Amino acid sequence: MSEIKVPGGEDRLDEAVPVYVPGEVTGFSHADEIEGLTDDARSFSSLAWTRFRRHRLALLGGVGLVLIIALFVFGPMVSEYTFDERNVIDRLQGPSKEHWFGTDEIGRDLFVRTAQGGRYSLRIGVIAAVSATIFGTLLGSIAAYFGSWIDGLISQVINMVLIVPALLILSVFALYFGRSANQLALVLAALLWTRIARVVRGVVLSIKEQEYIMAARAAGASHMRIILRHVLPNVVGPIVVEVTLLLGTVIVLESTLSFLGLGVQPPNASLGTLVANAKGSIDDDPIRVLTPGMFIVAIVLCVNFLGDGLRDALDPRSKNEKG
Amino acid sequence: MIGKPLLSVDNLGVGFKTDAGVVQAVTDVSFEIYPGEVLAVVGESGSGKSVTALALMRLHPGNTETTGDVMFDGMDILNLTEPQMRSIRGRDIAMIFQDPMTAMNPVFSVGEQIVEAIRVHNDISKKAAWSRAVDLLQLVGVPEPKQRASQYPHEYSGGMRQRAMIAMAISNDPKLLIADEPTTALDVTVQAQVMEVLHDVQEATGSAMMLITHDLGLVAGSADRVQVMYASRLMETGSVDEIFYESRNPYTRALLASIPDLETTRERLDPIPGNPPSLLRPPSGCAFRPRCSMAADVCSESVPELITIEGPHASRCHRIAEIEAEVAAMA
Repeated sequence: MSEIKVPGGEDRLDEAVPVYVPGEVTGFSHADEIEGLTDDARSFSSLAWTRFRRHRLALLGGVGLVLIIALFVFGPMVSEYTFDERNVIDRLQGPSKEHWFGTDEIGRDLFVRTAQGGRYSLRIGVIAAVSATIFGTLLGSIAAYFGSWIDGLISQVINMVLIVPALLILSVFALYFGRSANQLALVLAALLWTRIARVVRGVVLSIKEQEYIMAARAAGASHMRIILRHVLPNVVGPIVVEVTLLLGTVIVLESTLSFLGLGVQPPNASLGTLVANAKGSIDDDPIRVLTPGMFIVAIVLCVNFLGDGLRDALDPRSKNEKG
Repeated sequence: MIGKPLLSVDNLGVGFKTDAGVVQAVTDVSFEIYPGEVLAVVGESGSGKSVTALALMRLHPGNTETTGDVMFDGMDILNLTEPQMRSIRGRDIAMIFQDPMTAMNPVFSVGEQIVEAIRVHNDISKKAAWSRAVDLLQLVGVPEPKQRASQYPHEYSGGMRQRAMIAMAISNDPKLLIADEPTTALDVTVQAQVMEVLHDVQEATGSAMMLITHDLGLVAGSADRVQVMYASRLMETGSVDEIFYESRNPYTRALLASIPDLETTRERLDPIPGNPPSLLRPPSGCAFRPRCSMAADVCSESVPELITIEGPHASRCHRIAEIEAEVAAMA
């Protein structure tokens, strides 16, 4: 090709240049330049599981959550009472062998009602958190990735939603539309997606300046592919943390609504209504407030621990060696 | 050079619109790259060499104005649609980036990233792509490629990572490889290995290469032709020998004088005085004038033309005649 004598290139001429056939690759012998080698080529999921298991609190949170859900699901099955069965003679009892968590002011079994209410609260929490996450992640990443007027528009929408007082909207909505768990969850999601969107937007803003995004573009990847394959996997950590906090917020917000009488309607219950119903007698009968209250706290804590562990487990950069 | 050029750039200009005005990062740059050829683009930081490369792939941000013509393999690059451009990126023109530490996605294994680069342009199974990725890693000299393919970028050393980047870049047998300072982020011993891999791979695949660097030593060992850029313009272009031994440009000569030399003992290196000019407000006439030891009145009056000296050798200087005389006197 070129007759030019390349200074310093002579020594290269001695080496046989392998013939390259596309798709059928021959190796160069650079094996003598081996740097640190490990045989460890385990799959991502097995590594993630190892990291997760090592996270004591996360494991505790996970086990705790499973136990609570099992209690909520199977508890009412083994109990001889139903959640709306009244037995006025046995009203306002403390915990006993008959009624594990006692009874309320019209003699309904509080164990069954707590389980039923817990299921209701969890269902709202999960639906709301998941839909808020999907929506917020989508809008947040689009805003940050494309920038310019798209970012401006989405950021303004986020700000507008943020300044709306959540409780006001929720109470108006509850009056005009139904109060079913799904409806309530979706309204909560519509109000809370902005928190996810803001976190995602911030992280994506920094990730899109990374050279590997430019490298992906240089490799011919489309915008959608870059967002889904290169940007979002790097945002999973912050998202997981935010979702667990969000789940806590949703459960507390739903409890607040129910406490105010705008959430679940009798005879159904949620953890919030149970606290609300018992609040009058908190001085002489604190147990009735504390049991559902403790479940709210336990659920939120377990979910947060779990999220913490998930974040570490899903980051391949976090150390596997350390205990 | 014989045959049709693979890439021909005509009058390329790239300007960035900023609040302070338009920064003209590339001005009136014309050159060709022939199939299988290695063209080195040399210059200081901010001379426009990387911007030129990015313009060839249309990877600039939205506030960029690109003018001129870029013909690649019969395609008018600057007037293609974005989807057409995407099918060229990574398949016909591939790029190797400067910093292998940041040019790989930390959450995917190296193998997965090569597989993705292959599957963006080829409709083949994951398994087939994976086995090709392992082959490619072996080709670039990554030891134990089967195991290393499933490791993550942070488990690779810098040199190994740059090898993996090279494997990714050649995964679709590109016609043109653009290497943007491929060894700048590596330490010296690893630089030599990586350059060797790059050279082997380029020869084995028969692709052309545009090697962007500020390291003249690297250029001497690996390029066919050299192109020197300064303050957004081409200053001199020619074969390696012409640039190194018969330079007719004061800037190139000053650059060469500032390289340490192992054979002759010199007390001090001769740095070029001053700093590169601001591209927002370039000096009148020749941009190198304020730092040039040969500057004369004519240099501030107009920007010199790129004057052909012989064959591919051309220099942008008003005072070529004086340089010729000086060289003749020395001989």
